[in-house]
Amino acid sequence: MTKDKFLQQLEAELKRLSPVERADILLDYEEHFLFGLEEGKSEEAIAGALGSPSQIAKEILAGYHVKRASANLSAESVIRAAWAVIGLSFFNLVIVLGPALGVAGVILAGWAVSLTFLASPLLVVVEWLFYPDGFMLFDLFVSIGMCGIGILLGMVMLYVTKALKKALIGYLKYNVSLVKGGLRHDN
Amino acid sequence: MNVQFKKGVLELCVLVMLDKKDRYGYELVQKISSQIEISEGSIYPILRRLTNEEYFTTYLRESTEGPSRKYYRLTDKGRTYLYELITEWNEFASGVNQLIKEGVNNDEG
Repeated sequence: MTKDKFLQQLEAELKRLSPVERADILLDYEEHFLFGLEEGKSEEAIAGALGSPSQIAKEILAGYHVKRASANLSAESVIRAAWAVIGLSFFNLVIVLGPALGVAGVILAGWAVSLTFLASPLLVVVEWLFYPDGFMLFDLFVSIGMCGIGILLGMVMLYVTKALKKALIGYLKYNVSLVKGGLRHDN
Repeated sequence: MNVQFKKGVLELCVLVMLDKKDRYGYELVQKISSQIEISEGSIYPILRRLTNEEYFTTYLRESTEGPSRKYYRLTDKGRTYLYELITEWNEFASGVNQLIKEGVNNDEG
C-alpha cells in the first residue's frame, strides 16, 4: 500500500471525529512515513509495518469513546437524562400511580382489619364494664376467635408489606438507573 | 498474544521509555518494534490516549534534517502512573514465573 492510499483509508475510517482531531492524527502517520522514507524504507514496507488502517482507526475510536463516556456530562447526555426523567414522571403518574395507590389501600385496610380483630377482646371487656349484667360468654368466644384471625392476618400482612417494600425499592432503583443511564449511555 | 494484554504492556513500554528523557513518536515506535512484534501503527493511538489522559505533554522541535519532531514528555501524573504500572507488572511477572517454575518442576518429577 502506498503512503497516500494508507492515509486516505485512515482518513475515511476516522470520519466520525472532528476535522481538527482527524488532521492531528493523520499528521502523526504522515510524519511516520517521512521518517521511514528518510531511513531509506519503501512506502509499502512502512505501511506494512504500521498495520491495517481500519485496525488503527478502531483503536483510535475506542479510546475516543471511553474518553467521551467518562467525561459524562456532554450536552447530549444531559438532554437524554432530562428526557428520561420527564418520560419516567409521566409514566409513573399515569400508569404506576393508580395501581400503586390501589395496592397501598389494600395494605392499609388489611392492617386496619387485623388490628381491630386483635383488639376485639378489649371491646368485650369494655362492654362488660358498662353492662355487667349481660350474658357475654358468646361475645367472649367470638372475640377470642376474631383475635386469633387478627394475629394470623397480621402475620400475613407483615410478609405482604415486606415484599411490597422490596418491590418499591427495586422499582425506585430502576428509575434511578434509567436516569443515570441517560447520563452515561453514549452511542 | 492477547490484544488487550499487549496493549497494557505497550502502555508500560511507552511510559518507561519516557521516564528518563523526552522522545519523539517515530523513535518510540522503532524502539518498541525492535523488541516486540507489533503493528507499529498501534503505538500512535496509545500515545494519543495517554496524552489525553494528561500523562504526557507534547511539543514540536525542528530538526536539522527531515520533518519537525513531535516530542512527548512525561508529566508528574504520568510518572506516578508509571510507577504504579511497574509495581503491578513486577508482581504479575513474578507470579507467572513462579507458576512456570512449579509447573516445569512437576513435569520433571
